[in-house]
Amino acid sequence: MLDELNENELEIASRLVFDGLSMAKKSMEQILQIPIKMEKVDYSEKVSSPLAHYSGSEGESVHIIKTELMGELKGISHLIFKEDEVRKIYRACLPASIIESESPESKMMKMGFLTEVDNMMAAAVITEFSNFLGLEIYGMVPSLNVLKASEVNEFLEKESGDFQSVIHFKAIFHGEELDIAPDFIWLFQEEFVNKIKNLL
Amino acid sequence: MGKKILIVDDSIYMRSLIRSALEEAGYEIIGEAKDGETAIDLAMETSPDLITLDNILPDMMGFEVLKVLTENGLKSKVIMISAVGQQTVVNKGKELGAADYIVKPFTSEALVDVVNKVLN
Repeated sequence: MLDELNENELEIASRLVFDGLSMAKKSMEQILQIPIKMEKVDYSEKVSSPLAHYSGSEGESVHIIKTELMGELKGISHLIFKEDEVRKIYRACLPASIIESESPESKMMKMGFLTEVDNMMAAAVITEFSNFLGLEIYGMVPSLNVLKASEVNEFLEKESGDFQSVIHFKAIFHGEELDIAPDFIWLFQEEFVNKIKNLL
Repeated sequence: MGKKILIVDDSIYMRSLIRSALEEAGYEIIGEAKDGETAIDLAMETSPDLITLDNILPDMMGFEVLKVLTENGLKSKVIMISAVGQQTVVNKGKELGAADYIVKPFTSEALVDVVNKVLN
Protein backbone atom coordinates (compact mmCIF):
# COMPACT_ATOMS: atom_id res chain seq x y z
CA MET A 1 0.00 0.00 0.00
CA LEU A 2 1.17 3.50 -0.59
CA ASP A 3 1.28 4.26 3.11
CA GLU A 4 3.84 1.47 3.33
CA LEU A 5 6.17 3.32 1.01
CA ASN A 6 9.01 5.24 2.56
CA GLU A 7 9.71 8.82 1.61
CA ASN A 8 11.99 7.95 -1.33
CA GLU A 9 9.61 5.34 -2.69
CA LEU A 10 6.68 7.70 -2.36
CA GLU A 11 8.56 10.37 -4.25
CA ILE A 12 9.28 7.91 -7.06
CA ALA A 13 5.65 6.77 -7.18
CA SER A 14 4.38 10.35 -7.25
CA ARG A 15 6.80 11.33 -10.00
CA LEU A 16 5.85 8.28 -12.05
CA VAL A 17 2.14 9.06 -11.76
CA PHE A 18 2.77 12.68 -12.69
CA ASP A 19 4.99 11.72 -15.66
CA GLY A 20 2.41 9.21 -16.87
CA LEU A 21 -0.38 11.76 -16.69
CA SER A 22 1.83 14.32 -18.45
CA MET A 23 2.31 11.91 -21.34
CA ALA A 24 -1.48 11.39 -21.49
CA LYS A 25 -1.89 15.17 -21.63
CA LYS A 26 0.49 15.32 -24.62
CA SER A 27 -1.44 12.56 -26.39
CA MET A 28 -4.70 14.39 -25.82
CA GLU A 29 -3.19 17.58 -27.26
CA GLN A 30 -2.07 15.70 -30.36
CA ILE A 31 -5.42 14.03 -30.92
CA LEU A 32 -7.65 17.03 -30.29
CA GLN A 33 -5.15 19.55 -31.70
CA ILE A 34 -5.67 22.01 -28.83
CA PRO A 35 -3.54 22.95 -25.81
CA ILE A 36 -4.49 21.00 -22.70
CA LYS A 37 -3.71 21.87 -19.08
CA MET A 38 -3.46 19.20 -16.43
CA GLU A 39 -5.41 20.43 -13.44
CA LYS A 40 -6.14 19.17 -10.00
CA VAL A 41 -4.22 15.90 -9.70
CA ASP A 42 -5.72 13.96 -6.78
CA TYR A 43 -3.38 11.28 -5.58
CA SER A 44 -4.29 8.90 -2.81
CA GLU A 45 -1.40 8.25 -0.44
CA LYS A 46 -3.43 6.07 1.92
CA VAL A 47 -5.04 2.80 1.05
CA SER A 48 -8.07 3.71 3.12
CA SER A 49 -8.73 7.05 1.45
CA PRO A 50 -11.98 7.17 -0.54
CA LEU A 51 -12.04 7.43 -4.31
CA ALA A 52 -11.85 10.97 -5.62
CA HIS A 53 -15.45 12.14 -5.90
CA TYR A 54 -16.90 12.75 -9.36
CA SER A 55 -19.11 15.80 -9.56
CA GLY A 56 -21.53 16.48 -12.40
CA SER A 57 -25.07 17.77 -12.87
CA GLU A 58 -27.50 15.14 -11.61
CA GLY A 59 -29.50 14.39 -14.76
CA GLU A 60 -26.65 14.89 -17.21
CA SER A 61 -25.32 11.93 -19.21
CA VAL A 62 -21.65 11.10 -19.03
CA HIS A 63 -19.49 8.87 -21.20
CA ILE A 64 -17.06 6.64 -19.30
CA ILE A 65 -14.44 4.97 -21.43
CA LYS A 66 -12.69 2.19 -19.59
CA THR A 67 -9.41 0.44 -20.39
CA GLU A 68 -8.17 -2.55 -18.42
CA LEU A 69 -4.51 -3.37 -18.23
CA MET A 70 -3.12 -6.80 -18.95
CA GLY A 71 0.37 -8.11 -18.45
CA GLU A 72 2.64 -7.72 -15.45
CA LEU A 73 0.64 -4.97 -13.70
CA LYS A 74 -3.11 -4.89 -13.17
CA GLY A 75 -5.02 -1.64 -13.39
CA ILE A 76 -8.02 0.15 -14.91
CA SER A 77 -8.33 3.64 -16.33
CA HIS A 78 -11.53 5.64 -16.79
CA LEU A 79 -11.79 8.69 -19.00
CA ILE A 80 -15.01 10.58 -18.23
CA PHE A 81 -16.61 13.12 -20.54
CA LYS A 82 -19.84 14.99 -19.94
CA GLU A 83 -22.44 14.84 -22.73
CA ASP A 84 -21.83 18.42 -23.90
CA GLU A 85 -18.06 17.82 -23.93
CA VAL A 86 -18.57 14.84 -26.21
CA ARG A 87 -20.56 17.03 -28.60
CA LYS A 88 -17.82 19.69 -28.58
CA ILE A 89 -15.13 17.09 -29.32
CA TYR A 90 -17.14 15.63 -32.19
CA ARG A 91 -17.67 19.11 -33.65
CA ALA A 92 -13.94 19.84 -33.44
CA CYS A 93 -12.63 16.51 -34.70
CA LEU A 94 -15.15 14.75 -36.94
CA PRO A 95 -16.68 15.70 -40.30
CA ALA A 96 -20.22 17.14 -40.24
CA SER A 97 -21.48 14.22 -42.34
CA ILE A 98 -20.69 11.85 -39.47
CA ILE A 99 -21.81 14.14 -36.63
CA GLU A 100 -25.20 14.83 -38.16
CA SER A 101 -25.92 11.29 -39.30
CA GLU A 102 -27.77 8.83 -37.08
CA SER A 103 -26.79 5.82 -39.20
CA PRO A 104 -25.36 2.83 -37.30
CA GLU A 105 -22.01 3.37 -39.05
CA SER A 106 -21.84 7.03 -37.97
CA LYS A 107 -22.73 6.09 -34.41
CA MET A 108 -19.92 3.53 -34.44
CA MET A 109 -17.50 6.09 -35.87
CA LYS A 110 -18.35 8.53 -33.09
CA MET A 111 -18.01 5.86 -30.43
CA GLY A 112 -14.82 4.64 -32.10
CA PHE A 113 -13.33 8.12 -31.99
CA LEU A 114 -14.00 8.49 -28.25
CA THR A 115 -12.57 5.09 -27.46
CA GLU A 116 -9.47 5.91 -29.52
CA VAL A 117 -8.95 9.11 -27.50
CA ASP A 118 -9.05 6.98 -24.36
CA ASN A 119 -6.91 4.26 -25.91
CA MET A 120 -4.15 6.71 -26.76
CA MET A 121 -4.27 8.50 -23.40
CA ALA A 122 -4.28 5.25 -21.43
CA ALA A 123 -1.46 3.90 -23.61
CA ALA A 124 0.63 7.00 -22.89
CA VAL A 125 0.40 6.28 -19.15
CA ILE A 126 1.01 2.57 -19.73
CA THR A 127 4.09 3.25 -21.86
CA GLU A 128 5.55 5.54 -19.19
CA PHE A 129 4.91 3.00 -16.42
CA SER A 130 6.16 0.12 -18.52
CA ASN A 131 9.40 1.84 -19.50
CA PHE A 132 10.06 3.06 -15.96
CA LEU A 133 9.21 -0.17 -14.15
CA GLY A 134 10.64 -2.46 -16.86
CA LEU A 135 7.37 -4.37 -17.18
CA GLU A 136 5.38 -5.67 -20.12
CA ILE A 137 1.94 -4.02 -19.83
CA TYR A 138 -0.79 -3.53 -22.41
CA GLY A 139 -4.17 -1.81 -22.44
CA MET A 140 -7.06 -3.98 -23.60
CA VAL A 141 -9.66 -2.78 -26.12
CA PRO A 142 -11.49 0.16 -24.45
CA SER A 143 -15.20 -0.05 -23.67
CA LEU A 144 -17.73 2.78 -23.48
CA ASN A 145 -20.47 3.13 -20.86
CA VAL A 146 -23.03 5.94 -20.95
CA LEU A 147 -24.44 6.72 -17.48
CA LYS A 148 -26.22 9.49 -15.61
CA ALA A 149 -23.75 11.71 -13.73
CA SER A 150 -25.46 10.73 -10.48
CA GLU A 151 -24.53 7.06 -11.11
CA VAL A 152 -20.80 7.62 -11.75
CA ASN A 153 -19.53 7.47 -8.16
CA GLU A 154 -21.44 4.26 -7.52
CA PHE A 155 -20.03 2.81 -10.76
CA LEU A 156 -16.46 3.69 -9.75
CA GLU A 157 -16.90 2.40 -6.19
CA LYS A 158 -18.15 -0.90 -7.57
CA GLU A 159 -15.27 -1.14 -10.03
CA SER A 160 -12.82 -0.35 -7.27
CA GLY A 161 -14.31 -3.11 -5.09
CA ASP A 162 -14.49 -5.69 -7.89
CA PHE A 163 -10.96 -4.89 -8.81
CA GLN A 164 -9.66 -4.79 -5.21
CA SER A 165 -7.89 -1.57 -5.97
CA VAL A 166 -5.57 -0.04 -3.46
CA ILE A 167 -4.05 2.82 -5.40
CA HIS A 168 -5.98 5.42 -7.29
CA PHE A 169 -5.24 8.78 -8.81
CA LYS A 170 -7.24 11.27 -10.77
CA ALA A 171 -6.48 14.24 -12.99
CA ILE A 172 -8.69 16.77 -14.71
CA PHE A 173 -7.50 17.79 -18.16
CA HIS A 174 -8.67 21.22 -19.20
CA GLY A 175 -8.92 22.15 -22.87
CA GLU A 176 -9.83 25.81 -22.69
CA GLU A 177 -10.39 26.29 -26.43
CA LEU A 178 -13.02 23.57 -26.44
CA ASP A 179 -14.16 24.21 -22.86
CA ILE A 180 -13.82 20.59 -21.81
CA ALA A 181 -12.51 19.17 -18.53
CA PRO A 182 -12.67 15.36 -18.55
CA ASP A 183 -11.72 13.33 -15.48
CA PHE A 184 -9.07 10.64 -15.89
CA ILE A 185 -9.21 8.12 -13.04
CA TRP A 186 -6.85 5.18 -12.52
CA LEU A 187 -7.08 2.24 -10.15
CA PHE A 188 -4.18 -0.12 -9.42
CA GLN A 189 -3.75 -3.24 -7.34
CA GLU A 190 -1.00 -3.52 -4.74
CA GLU A 191 1.53 -4.97 -7.22
CA PHE A 192 2.13 -1.34 -8.12
CA VAL A 193 3.58 -0.72 -4.66
CA ASN A 194 5.69 -3.87 -4.80
CA LYS A 195 7.13 -2.88 -8.18
CA ILE A 196 8.10 0.53 -6.80
CA LYS A 197 9.74 -1.11 -3.78
CA ASN A 198 11.64 -3.49 -6.07
CA LEU A 199 13.17 -0.55 -7.88
CA LEU A 200 15.22 0.50 -4.87
CA MET B 1 -3.17 -0.20 -59.98
CA GLY B 2 -1.81 0.66 -56.50
CA LYS B 3 -0.29 -1.88 -54.18
CA LYS B 4 -2.77 -3.86 -52.12
CA ILE B 5 -3.19 -3.20 -48.42
CA LEU B 6 -5.18 -4.97 -45.70
CA ILE B 7 -6.16 -2.88 -42.66
CA VAL B 8 -6.51 -4.59 -39.27
CA ASP B 9 -7.87 -2.55 -36.37
CA ASP B 10 -10.75 -3.10 -33.93
CA SER B 11 -11.83 0.55 -34.25
CA ILE B 12 -13.95 1.52 -37.23
CA TYR B 13 -12.72 5.08 -36.70
CA MET B 14 -9.08 4.06 -37.07
CA ARG B 15 -9.81 1.81 -40.06
CA SER B 16 -11.56 4.69 -41.77
CA LEU B 17 -8.70 7.09 -41.00
CA ILE B 18 -6.07 4.67 -42.31
CA ARG B 19 -8.14 3.80 -45.40
CA SER B 20 -8.67 7.42 -46.30
CA ALA B 21 -4.96 8.34 -45.92
CA LEU B 22 -3.76 5.35 -47.94
CA GLU B 23 -6.37 5.60 -50.70
CA GLU B 24 -5.51 9.26 -51.14
CA ALA B 25 -1.87 8.21 -51.52
CA GLY B 26 -2.88 5.83 -54.34
CA TYR B 27 -2.97 2.49 -52.54
CA GLU B 28 -5.73 -0.06 -52.98
CA ILE B 29 -7.42 -1.26 -49.80
CA ILE B 30 -8.39 -4.86 -50.38
CA GLY B 31 -10.01 -5.48 -47.04
CA GLU B 32 -10.52 -4.54 -43.41
CA ALA B 33 -10.54 -6.79 -40.36
CA LYS B 34 -11.62 -5.88 -36.86
CA ASP B 35 -10.19 -8.93 -35.10
CA GLY B 36 -7.26 -11.32 -35.35
CA GLU B 37 -9.10 -14.33 -36.71
CA THR B 38 -10.65 -12.36 -39.59
CA ALA B 39 -7.27 -10.75 -40.23
CA ILE B 40 -5.56 -14.13 -40.61
CA ASP B 41 -8.31 -15.47 -42.93
CA LEU B 42 -8.31 -12.34 -45.11
CA ALA B 43 -4.53 -12.14 -45.27
CA MET B 44 -4.15 -15.78 -46.32
CA GLU B 45 -6.94 -15.42 -48.86
CA THR B 46 -5.77 -12.16 -50.47
CA SER B 47 -1.96 -12.09 -49.95
CA PRO B 48 -1.78 -8.30 -49.72
CA ASP B 49 1.45 -6.40 -50.37
CA LEU B 50 1.16 -4.84 -46.93
CA ILE B 51 -0.86 -5.23 -43.73
CA THR B 52 -1.37 -2.45 -41.19
CA LEU B 53 -1.81 -4.39 -37.96
CA ASP B 54 -3.14 -3.02 -34.68
CA ASN B 55 -1.44 -4.74 -31.75
CA ILE B 56 -4.42 -4.80 -29.40
CA LEU B 57 -7.33 -6.74 -30.92
CA PRO B 58 -10.41 -8.12 -29.17
CA ASP B 59 -9.52 -11.79 -29.65
CA MET B 60 -5.72 -11.85 -29.77
CA MET B 61 -2.62 -9.68 -29.83
CA GLY B 62 -1.34 -8.36 -33.15
CA PHE B 63 1.93 -10.15 -32.32
CA GLU B 64 0.09 -13.48 -32.44
CA VAL B 65 -1.48 -12.62 -35.81
CA LEU B 66 1.97 -11.74 -37.15
CA LYS B 67 3.40 -15.02 -35.85
CA VAL B 68 0.65 -17.11 -37.48
CA LEU B 69 1.07 -15.30 -40.81
CA THR B 70 4.84 -15.81 -40.76
CA GLU B 71 4.48 -19.49 -39.84
CA ASN B 72 2.11 -19.90 -42.77
CA GLY B 73 4.71 -18.43 -45.10
CA LEU B 74 2.85 -15.23 -45.99
CA LYS B 75 5.26 -12.76 -47.59
CA SER B 76 3.21 -9.59 -47.00
CA LYS B 77 5.03 -6.71 -45.30
CA VAL B 78 3.51 -5.83 -41.93
CA ILE B 79 3.44 -2.44 -40.24
CA MET B 80 2.29 -2.65 -36.65
CA ILE B 81 0.21 0.27 -35.38
CA SER B 82 -0.49 0.68 -31.71
CA ALA B 83 -1.00 3.23 -28.97
CA VAL B 84 1.35 1.14 -26.85
CA GLY B 85 4.81 2.47 -27.59
CA GLN B 86 7.24 1.09 -25.07
CA GLN B 87 10.57 0.11 -26.57
CA THR B 88 10.35 -3.55 -25.55
CA VAL B 89 7.03 -3.89 -27.40
CA VAL B 90 8.32 -2.10 -30.49
CA ASN B 91 11.38 -4.35 -30.49
CA LYS B 92 9.25 -7.47 -30.05
CA GLY B 93 7.19 -6.50 -33.11
CA LYS B 94 10.31 -6.06 -35.19
CA GLU B 95 11.81 -9.32 -33.92
CA LEU B 96 8.66 -11.12 -35.06
CA GLY B 97 9.13 -9.71 -38.55
CA ALA B 98 7.24 -6.40 -38.62
CA ALA B 99 8.79 -4.02 -41.13
CA ASP B 100 7.97 -1.01 -38.94
CA TYR B 101 6.00 0.03 -35.87
CA ILE B 102 3.89 3.21 -35.71
CA VAL B 103 2.81 4.61 -32.37
CA LYS B 104 -0.60 6.35 -32.15
CA PRO B 105 -1.46 9.16 -32.38
CA PHE B 106 0.06 9.67 -35.83
CA THR B 107 -0.61 11.97 -38.77
CA SER B 108 -1.77 10.75 -42.19
CA GLU B 109 1.49 12.05 -43.66
CA ALA B 110 3.57 10.03 -41.20
CA LEU B 111 1.57 6.89 -41.98
CA VAL B 112 1.94 7.33 -45.75
CA ASP B 113 5.68 8.02 -45.37
CA VAL B 114 6.20 4.75 -43.51
CA VAL B 115 4.06 2.77 -45.97
CA ASN B 116 5.95 4.29 -48.93
CA LYS B 117 9.27 3.45 -47.30
CA VAL B 118 8.27 -0.14 -46.53
CA LEU B 119 6.79 -0.83 -49.96
CA ASN B 120 9.62 0.75 -51.91
